[in-house]
Amino acid sequence: MAVGLASGISAVSAADDTVKVGVLHSLSGTMAISETSLRDVLLFTFDEINAAGGVLGKKIEPVVVDGASDWPLFAEKAEQLLVQDKAAVTFGCWTSVSRKSVLPVFEKYNGLLFYPVQYEGEEMSKNIFYTAEAVGQQAIPAVDFLLEEGYKKFYLIGTDYVYPQTTNIVLFEYLLSKGISVENIGGGLRKDSEGKVISAGNYTPFGHADFQQIVADIKKFSASGEACVINTINGDANVPFFKEFASSGLTSDDCPVVSFSLSEDEFRALPAKDLVGHLGCWTYFMSIESAANKKFIADFNTWLGKTDVPGIVKENRVTCSPMVLSYDGVYIWKAAVEKAGSFDVDKVREALLSGDVSFDGPGGTVTAQKNHHLTKTVYIGETLETGQFSIIKTLPDVYGEPFLKGTFEKK
Amino acid sequence: MGVLKPFEKRSELAVFLLLAAVVIVLPCLNGMTGEESGWHVSNFKLGVWGKYLCFAVVAMSLNMLWGYTGLLCLGQCLFFALGGYAFGMYLMLMIGDLGAYKSELPDFMVFLGYEQLPTHWKPFYSPWFAILMVMVVPGLVAFIFGFLAFRSRIKGVYFSILTQALTYAAALLFFRNDTTFGGNNGFTDFKFILGADIREPSTGRWLFVASGILLLTVYWFIAWLLTTKFGKVQEAIRDSENRVRFSGYSTTHFKLFIFVVSAIIAGLAGALYVPQAGIINPGEMWPTKGLDIVVWVAVGGRGTKAGPIIGAVLVNLLKSYTTREFPEYWLLILGCLFVLVVIFMPDGIVGLCKRTWVRFVRPKAGSGPAAEEKALATESS
Amino acid sequence: MSRFAALFWLFAVTILSVVGSTVVRADESEARRLLTEVILYDGERQDVAVEALGEEGAEIIKVVVEAWRVGEVSTTTRAEGEELALLKTPEGWFNILTGDEEVPSGEVTINRPSRKLRKTLKQLVDLLDLSSSDPAERIAAVEKLGLRQKAEYVELLRERVTKQTDPKVQRAFEEALSISLLVNGTVEERLQAVKDLGELKSFPARDFIDVLVAENEAVIADDAAAEEDKEAAKDLLAAAVSAKEKIDSRQKAVEVAGTIFRGLSLGSVLLLVSYGLAITFGLMGVINMAHGEFIAIGGYTVYLVQGYFAQTFGEGTAAYEWYFAVALPAAFLVAAFFGVVLERGVIQFLYRRPLESLLATWGVSMIIQQLIRMKFGAANVAVSSPQWLSGSVEMGGVTMTNNRLFVIGFALFVIVATWLLLTKTNWGLHVRATMQNRQMASSLGVRSTRVNMMTFAFGSGLAGLAGAFLSQIGNVGPSMGQTYIVDSFMVVVVGGVGSLLGAALSSLGIGMIDQTLQPILGPVMGKISVLLGIILFLQFKPGGLFPSKSRSLDD
Repeated sequence: MAVGLASGISAVSAADDTVKVGVLHSLSGTMAISETSLRDVLLFTFDEINAAGGVLGKKIEPVVVDGASDWPLFAEKAEQLLVQDKAAVTFGCWTSVSRKSVLPVFEKYNGLLFYPVQYEGEEMSKNIFYTAEAVGQQAIPAVDFLLEEGYKKFYLIGTDYVYPQTTNIVLFEYLLSKGISVENIGGGLRKDSEGKVISAGNYTPFGHADFQQIVADIKKFSASGEACVINTINGDANVPFFKEFASSGLTSDDCPVVSFSLSEDEFRALPAKDLVGHLGCWTYFMSIESAANKKFIADFNTWLGKTDVPGIVKENRVTCSPMVLSYDGVYIWKAAVEKAGSFDVDKVREALLSGDVSFDGPGGTVTAQKNHHLTKTVYIGETLETGQFSIIKTLPDVYGEPFLKGTFEKK
Repeated sequence: MGVLKPFEKRSELAVFLLLAAVVIVLPCLNGMTGEESGWHVSNFKLGVWGKYLCFAVVAMSLNMLWGYTGLLCLGQCLFFALGGYAFGMYLMLMIGDLGAYKSELPDFMVFLGYEQLPTHWKPFYSPWFAILMVMVVPGLVAFIFGFLAFRSRIKGVYFSILTQALTYAAALLFFRNDTTFGGNNGFTDFKFILGADIREPSTGRWLFVASGILLLTVYWFIAWLLTTKFGKVQEAIRDSENRVRFSGYSTTHFKLFIFVVSAIIAGLAGALYVPQAGIINPGEMWPTKGLDIVVWVAVGGRGTKAGPIIGAVLVNLLKSYTTREFPEYWLLILGCLFVLVVIFMPDGIVGLCKRTWVRFVRPKAGSGPAAEEKALATESS
Repeated sequence: MSRFAALFWLFAVTILSVVGSTVVRADESEARRLLTEVILYDGERQDVAVEALGEEGAEIIKVVVEAWRVGEVSTTTRAEGEELALLKTPEGWFNILTGDEEVPSGEVTINRPSRKLRKTLKQLVDLLDLSSSDPAERIAAVEKLGLRQKAEYVELLRERVTKQTDPKVQRAFEEALSISLLVNGTVEERLQAVKDLGELKSFPARDFIDVLVAENEAVIADDAAAEEDKEAAKDLLAAAVSAKEKIDSRQKAVEVAGTIFRGLSLGSVLLLVSYGLAITFGLMGVINMAHGEFIAIGGYTVYLVQGYFAQTFGEGTAAYEWYFAVALPAAFLVAAFFGVVLERGVIQFLYRRPLESLLATWGVSMIIQQLIRMKFGAANVAVSSPQWLSGSVEMGGVTMTNNRLFVIGFALFVIVATWLLLTKTNWGLHVRATMQNRQMASSLGVRSTRVNMMTFAFGSGLAGLAGAFLSQIGNVGPSMGQTYIVDSFMVVVVGGVGSLLGAALSSLGIGMIDQTLQPILGPVMGKISVLLGIILFLQFKPGGLFPSKSRSLDD
């Protein structure tokens, strides 16, 4: 059997005037729902940069691979990008598990990955740059806002995996420190044998579709008023949740829901009219009124109209935070490469960590920090009947801190 | 050569020797030639092929059940993953304090606020205990499930759907963070295996060789088993279970034995897969993974000795290739392949080869139509 | 609805509410003027207008506030420079100040209230609703007022409580008054309020009673407190504890009723998604792994029909409301059509090899999923519920959403229709004959090829119907069917392969058990327990609830 077939073709060596860049997202399987948009925006960004002369005079040549929502395959594809394609940098991953599965690969081959999606923190690999929102750039500001608004009861709900569990346990501690009593934190607590709370909130399996029980519970919880829901349900499982929420007659006046994994992209599939006034917290909203954002949206739509990549939907597209953080990531990388004057990973990293690489993106200025995260502007928005968010609070220059509990030694 | 006696046909011996050659030659090419050489096999390719070998083993274990005993198990991925988890526990403990938190505990435990290692994790510091568990855990699960299922004579499609329910339930259980197996993130970022650095190319070569030896052993074992009286009963159960029972055999015991053995083999394959893939998470138990294994066997040729190996390698090769070259179309390509195989190659690739051989190369052999009839009889049962 | 109808509706509401309420209404034009002020200006001028608005009682306030919330209030400037506040309706724009139709000449910008203003206006509307003609609105409004426990509402409530004729409304008023008094009343009033709330078995009061218990426990434990205060506290505490017990026991009863309803509705959803499979797999023996994709096809058909209606009639119009009634048969037909294609193209070669149909259909499932992704994109698409399917009704404390009620009825319809088709028609006879013995039936003159095709199409059509319904409660996306495929097979197997009645009963049973276990074990462990329960159940009934009877040993 021909060994050469093993990994497809042997790498065609890149022409001298191009630089290969990996795009590692799920284009099929369960995560394709969210990740395909990121592929689209990345291809757009590369075209935009190439049209403006490329990076260090070289055109970007994207290598798109499909991780197929299959985590061992992510690791294999990452290795393929690094070893065969010699990709200078890779943009990709959505779920924590996909990032965890490629992390050893990027460390082994000293590659560079830009990760764009809000996550639980507690990680800082020297080979990954997290343009994502850390818990402190999303959950904490949102809860502060709710406390300011005078809410006294908090119901925690999420999908049963690491991000919601970690966020909720951090929030649980945070709420207690703000004087909210344990009885007023809903969703259930689980304690270990010594009585220490190890998990707070109500959790559902992936792809859960029946939220009757949970919504009934929320209705009971909020019966005496001043209650809100903190929602870390993953991606599209939000749709059955909100549909049930809306049809049971609950409104944002009775009990607003603040969601961390529900962006404009997911909101498209929801009955927005019944869900006016719920809250979201991201470092970008499509409704930001800035010249940079307007240009970004217009250019992206123009590009969508022209592109001939198969499977890209051209109508009714929205932009959202993970998309913009992907976009920002490419430009941050470009700026770092230009500062370093080289595509070499070590030099690029040195430039990134110098603290003065920044980019004026659609969501405001983002600056690379020494701890591999980004300082960025946090926005709190409430949902409109159009499926957009209207921004009600802006917190500029929030520092990205992955290790929130503060008790861990940093690398 | 007494050891080679189980191979009744020359073709089976040839496949065995070819596999042995691959297992020896690939690591040699990897270790002894330079990167610039045209014969060089990169560490990456060797790793990928190592994973294919593990897939081939789990496909063979399913073929034992489905191809030779007539039990279609849609939950073979569960045994594969359980073996992987058991060995993964050992690998997690070997990380020691090199994790993100510099703690002796695995990262995810620190993360979820564990103060100390849960009791059931402690023995896994020993690799030998872990290897024992790689066999015991899947074996035990198969034994309990099989005992219940076969005792009440659940068979056919009922058995298939129940094995799917079992692996689905297990996947949901493992997705929970409280199950103490890392939830959705599972185990990753392994550093050492039996004292060796897992990133070293030499470790990769040894893992490849170990997978190869497992493959050869299982291939031999299955062939040997079929030559024994046990093997004859096994095939008889597939063809007509009631007749076997009326002849005085306890088919329950036979089926239970083969089910447990098949689970253990799958567990071993999983254990070797995990260090090479670098991750094990509950996704490996998801019902679709169980269907994948069934597809490999069917594409290669169910009830043939080489079929599962060819199917597993070919389908995965195609998947690796198309997800890179045609990320938008690969599902269409694989989907069409499955449909075409089922309609035009009912016995898979091996069956097609056999038919071609019988029809064109040895037209006078009398065994052709008889074999085809037998195949059809099997399918309709 | 024509423009006249809209106006008539506006008038009718206004007139009815004047008749039905006890408040003497001021002229509506003043309310309109104030509303326009609130919309067009901010700062002090707005505050003044809001305050003045509180004195008005016109129904128009509610209409505008609700429209403002959902972005249906806009501002524009006339050519001569006059600023206008406009109300958007499906019939066009209306000037809020005058109530006349307005064709805006200039640019129209959507106007939105701030979060704070919205809250204030909401309270205002709640006060207004106290005298609404709709009892349900009065109840909702008074509940909210009670929860605020403000002293200034006590008199208002006390004055109104006796005037209510509807017993339900009266109960709500009493409840609200008591909750208010818990904080604002004298010692005697508080004691009485606690007792009343216990009698009323008031759910919203439970948290407040908790607070009361804690307060009084503190008083009793406090050595510095006066003796008479302690006595009073003891009485209150005793009353509060007994009231809590009463409420809790009622809450339990409601929870049981709620669980039964939710179990019934989950069971109906399971029945819909698995009934098609009970036919293709149960009757025909085809292990159709593409069943989930037929569900998705149904969902996407609804999406397309909705899009067509939105384009033709405009969103929100009366005709648009009925898109779902068209989408249901369309989903059935489209899925059935694809079923025919699949049967002719693939399945017909595999009747003798059922296990291999699993592989072929698995491949087909991958193909359909990817085709959907390429046509509609990988993201979910939006399907909105028509008015008549959204909302909910409450009965005895249990909230029953309209779409859930609909699915229960619809599942019943599917069972009955299928049963009639299979037992009362000629076609049904042929189907049953063919499924029992394909060769025998065809040698007796049944055109089994045709029957196979039609049966498979029917099963696929049912899957399409399920998808159409799922679009109302969940996602419409390329992998929407995958969520249900394992469950569907489980339902059919538990019911007994080949038994439609079995499938119906097993889906109901699984739904009930799932919903009963969920509150105790949580959704994840609940689901795991159900799966393990199914495995154990089949130990005792290896052929499912209704095993198919056959004299052949090897069946």
